[in-house]
Amino acid sequence: MIKVENLVKTFELNKQQRKELNTSERTVTAVSNVSFTCEPGKIHALLGANGAGKTTTMRMMSTIFKPTSGSIEIAGIDALKDPEEARKHIGFLTGSAGLYARLTPNEIVDYYGSLYGISKADIQIRKKKLFEMLNMHDFQNKRIGKLSTGMKQKVSICRTMIHDPQVILFDEPTSGLDVITAAAIIELIKQCKDEGKTVIFSSHIMGEVDLLSDNITIIHKGKTVVNSTMEEFRAGMQAPNLTAEFIRVVNQQETAAL
Amino acid sequence: MIFNVYKKEIKDTLRDRRTVIMMIVIPTLVFPIIMNVYMKISEKFAAETEAQKVKIGLVSNQVGEIEQDLMNVPKELGKKQFIPYKDTNALKKDIQDKKIELGCYISANENEQLKAMKPVEIIVFHDGTDLGMKERFQAYIGFIETKMKQQRYAQLKINEENITPVQVNYSNVASDKEMFGKLAGGILPYFFIAFGFMGCMYPAIDLFTGEKERGTLETLLTTPVKRWKILIGKMLVVVTSGLMASTFSLIGLFLSIESLDPEKAPELIAIVNDILSPAFIAMLYVLLIPMIFFFAGIMIPIAIRAKSFKEAQSIISPLNMLVVLPGMVGFFPGIELNYVTAVIPVINVVLATKELIAGTLELQYVALAFGVMVSLAVFVVLLSNRKFESERSLL
Repeated sequence: MIKVENLVKTFELNKQQRKELNTSERTVTAVSNVSFTCEPGKIHALLGANGAGKTTTMRMMSTIFKPTSGSIEIAGIDALKDPEEARKHIGFLTGSAGLYARLTPNEIVDYYGSLYGISKADIQIRKKKLFEMLNMHDFQNKRIGKLSTGMKQKVSICRTMIHDPQVILFDEPTSGLDVITAAAIIELIKQCKDEGKTVIFSSHIMGEVDLLSDNITIIHKGKTVVNSTMEEFRAGMQAPNLTAEFIRVVNQQETAAL
Repeated sequence: MIFNVYKKEIKDTLRDRRTVIMMIVIPTLVFPIIMNVYMKISEKFAAETEAQKVKIGLVSNQVGEIEQDLMNVPKELGKKQFIPYKDTNALKKDIQDKKIELGCYISANENEQLKAMKPVEIIVFHDGTDLGMKERFQAYIGFIETKMKQQRYAQLKINEENITPVQVNYSNVASDKEMFGKLAGGILPYFFIAFGFMGCMYPAIDLFTGEKERGTLETLLTTPVKRWKILIGKMLVVVTSGLMASTFSLIGLFLSIESLDPEKAPELIAIVNDILSPAFIAMLYVLLIPMIFFFAGIMIPIAIRAKSFKEAQSIISPLNMLVVLPGMVGFFPGIELNYVTAVIPVINVVLATKELIAGTLELQYVALAFGVMVSLAVFVVLLSNRKFESERSLL
């Protein structure tokens, strides 16, 4: 389970950043009072336009960033008090592939397995399962630099899941992928749900959100504007489809701010 | 965990062609190449000068004793050809135009002066940029002068010893090793400092700024490994690379000296063989290791802060000068390790290495230099850790 309460993240701006953002403010609030809970066996979609604060929220949940205020509970662990322990239960698929071009998929997965403190034997068992699931055997010993975008994303997923985490964060997992690879990844996310894992994912592809999500949170300019189950969200939709409804919600916030 | 990070990073680093070139290939080859080229050029120059028939313009009114003697200078002192000139103006112009190499004016009163046992004025014209020509003529004149002096002593019935009031013999109490260490020993620390710095540079940028750019640092920070352990694992790779570059530059340096013709440089080879003891190598690394940590600790905070590989490179590259220039202090004789120089980073290592080569190391200065470098290394490691813990610097 993951429980996020009143999460706030404020960044200090240096002189150059203030100039770039054309502001005299010394701080900027990227995330403001974001709260939601995701139970095991559920998929939670985190939506928002670019710059809304999704990635910052995910980085706080993965303990890379320390929140300015608020609390995060990961699998029953207070992530702020014991981030190292919390990380053992999190798998974070970041927005970029985040892979070492000069290593092979085998080497990368082994390396991350070792960083999670898993025994060599367990790494091999888990790796075999993941490689089979994602059909990776053909390129497991090729260097990352020579792989396609889809292949790299599969390696990233293996790296994220090698320690069999209870909570998985996917930041735009199918972005830029071909249909077949994207389908394989969607299947994997479903499987994670079936295995009772807690899945949080962000995406701009509304078809995926519609297909996968049990719960939805829409963030706009760092603030939560929607936080409900998918069923409730669908029931309250004023636009004909999810994409149109998302645009309507965002535009409504923009208008209200004026 | 530190070892896991180190093992992976070293594997990754050794697969980077650019780093391997900077860490192993260039340091190993640079000195043998420089030495080889230098030896070849100087040998060629010496052979050419020796074989060259020097054209000497001669302005003289008569064929006197000096002219005769000049013609009869043995061939071993260099081949020559005399060309008569009427005046010195044409002679000087031809030297400038490179038609002849030397010019010689012998005073018109040569015979009178010789008879009166007085000095004969000789003016030698030469082009200072034409290296070795002046020395060639000095050898000719030296030969003639010696011969003429002997003749005058005989005529005057003088025993040469009677007009030699003192006979001075200079005895050098410094050993060959000390001479080599104090005068030429500066080249060794210069090389290992320069290459140690360069060896650290690419891995430091690649393992920090490069990982930020590629997004791998973010994924690494999601693992349960403490940040300081990740930092130390990576820093050890940077230090290993710097040490390897330094070591390979020293190997290159010693191999090129060892490959010299033993007949041409027997003392040098003997000194190098004498220096290369296990104690010397151990002491060298005692000085080298904290310095390489110091270099890594300077570069890592910059690499962490930089937003791109290019930005990091543009800040770290000029720092090279700050390291290389103090490294050159070793080339100047007279600057020695004392309580002042021992506290100046880099310079202290350079001077301590020189003293080490010369065998004149004083332990209190080395201990001070070592203490200063270790303190600085600890300080920059802590600074790196502070930067690495900072969210703003990392992503």
